[in-house]
Amino acid sequence: MANAFVAAFEILSFGAIIVLIVLGLGIIASMMGIFNFAQGEFVLLGAYITYLAYSHGLPIWAGMVAAPFAVGALGFVLEGLIIRRFYAAPIVAMLGTYALGLIIRESVRGLIGGFYLTVPEPIGGSIDIGTVHISTWRFIIIVITLLVMGACYLLLSRTSFGLRVRATLENPALARASGISTPLIYGATFAFGAALAGLAGALIVPVFSLFADLGIRFLIQGFVAVMVGGVGSFIGPVAGAGVIGTLSAALPWVMAPVIADVLVFVLAIAFIKFRPQGLIAGKGV
Amino acid sequence: MLKSMSVVREAIDADVGDEPDGAMAESEARQAASGRKVLPIVEGLVLLAALIAPLVLQDYLTVFATRVIILALFALSFDLVWGYAGIMSFGQALFFGSAGYGVALLARDLDITNIFLVLPAGTIIGLTFALLLGGFLLLGRHPSSVIFVALGTLTGSYAADRLARGWYYLGGQNGIPSISPMTLGGYEFSEGPVFYYLTLGILVVVYLLCRFLVRSQFGLALAGLRENEQRIAFFGYKAQHLKAIVFAVGGTIAGLAGSLYAFHEGFVWPNMVGVVVSTQVVLYVLFGGSGTLIGAVIGTVIIEGVSFWLSDNYRDIWPIILGVLLLLVILFRPLGLISFVLAERERVGSFGAKPKENEKEKRNAAS
Repeated sequence: MANAFVAAFEILSFGAIIVLIVLGLGIIASMMGIFNFAQGEFVLLGAYITYLAYSHGLPIWAGMVAAPFAVGALGFVLEGLIIRRFYAAPIVAMLGTYALGLIIRESVRGLIGGFYLTVPEPIGGSIDIGTVHISTWRFIIIVITLLVMGACYLLLSRTSFGLRVRATLENPALARASGISTPLIYGATFAFGAALAGLAGALIVPVFSLFADLGIRFLIQGFVAVMVGGVGSFIGPVAGAGVIGTLSAALPWVMAPVIADVLVFVLAIAFIKFRPQGLIAGKGV
Repeated sequence: MLKSMSVVREAIDADVGDEPDGAMAESEARQAASGRKVLPIVEGLVLLAALIAPLVLQDYLTVFATRVIILALFALSFDLVWGYAGIMSFGQALFFGSAGYGVALLARDLDITNIFLVLPAGTIIGLTFALLLGGFLLLGRHPSSVIFVALGTLTGSYAADRLARGWYYLGGQNGIPSISPMTLGGYEFSEGPVFYYLTLGILVVVYLLCRFLVRSQFGLALAGLRENEQRIAFFGYKAQHLKAIVFAVGGTIAGLAGSLYAFHEGFVWPNMVGVVVSTQVVLYVLFGGSGTLIGAVIGTVIIEGVSFWLSDNYRDIWPIILGVLLLLVILFRPLGLISFVLAERERVGSFGAKPKENEKEKRNAAS
């Protein structure tokens, strides 16, 4: 019983991490039709900013708050300078964002060297329920993920900004004709997606520690999750992330980890092949 | 992009032979044929440089040059798939690496190192994997989106990487070290000029085969596929089948390159099937110029050469420079470095052409 509870918690917390990372990826993919290869590096940057704050003696939470804003600002600048040119060609966009990611990743690698740098949890310790101990920080990640998800949903479905975003997503020409500045919306959305990645990086760095290839680990899982969930909606990628995250965390409990690892990808690709529109088809929130 | 599209359309129109702008295409094709061709000159220069390289290079540089030649062969396979058929294969290393692992296992467990057995074996492994993955991703009732194919190949490569890392039989993280050298009777191919000329010979043969392929009617269909898939489908071609065939040919060449690489380096390791090598080959081809076979070779030589040259002093910043260069090329020179010397029309090539002299032109195109 206790074991099952620990397993369930592990699965839930890993699923939450994947959801957090995929949120930004999914918003960018759905909005602009771009699969952002630099998203993993935005995660890395978020983690790096948190580490910087920590190593300069600032409180860790200050780094975690600063990370999404800094990465979001960078995303806004990059969108205006570079990403904007790629909208017409999704494959070129992949290559261009890959190049961007390469630059960011190797710069960070140059700054931190080949080390694994650890950042302590801002809130350490564990929550004890009877004989079971679960990590407080992982629990907080789950809570924050739920809050961020809720906030994103409300932002997209209830605010006038969300309305503009959805209008631009569904029919850019008509949105422009209605006086919505679509370039600005695109820039803001990209920045928002990047900020979410930065937040994800900041939150997970105490769990995974900081190393240059931190982002790549999640990038492909994120892509697969977005495709499984379905591009075009807000809820699709989140659902996909939930499925992929749960599967990746759950399967190693029932079979050899190596096989589980590969099986998740094979199942996901097979699923996408036979249901290209994903779990949740259609546009909107 | 638009320009090249119209060029292919003209070429296709001319091939169909009932379009008024056939006359224009005709005059331009003749102009291109009348001695202003740059491509054969570039190819000749590269071949000449490759032939004399071992004579002027020191031994350790010849070993390095052999590696570059093998990687150029690998780049050729990607160029065929992306540059000609427009399939973004982000997992080309899957075929390269699985063939490498395959021949490494042959050498380790069965003691088979005969060149006439291992190279075909590696080639067949590459072909098999490409048929399986390509068949799954590309064929089917509904045509797959380009994004799906790109991410599907990427995921395949990544999954193979993870499998190789975790599977004890394949050596795990360390891969398979110290593979015994390739043999021919009693002769052992060790690193050096002989291995160099062997790989160069293979590269030239494969290059000529590819060149024949892309300048044939099949190649014309491919170019059409790349520029406007829907239109090609309307002409009655089975676009998905064409893609699957090219994908398989690409996988075959990658398999050949992978088996050569395994024997040349003497070891295989998980990166060889993974995302790192997959993206590296994309860099070679984009940098040199996709859609021109020689561009892939030149891109490989330049990137590997500069990387080798800088590795002593600037090892850390080289990947950053590479990223910046790649970004600049994608933004401002989408057709790669080769487009500085090569005209757009020549890149696309003049196949098919005039209805009047159809026979003669075909012979020219084939030669």
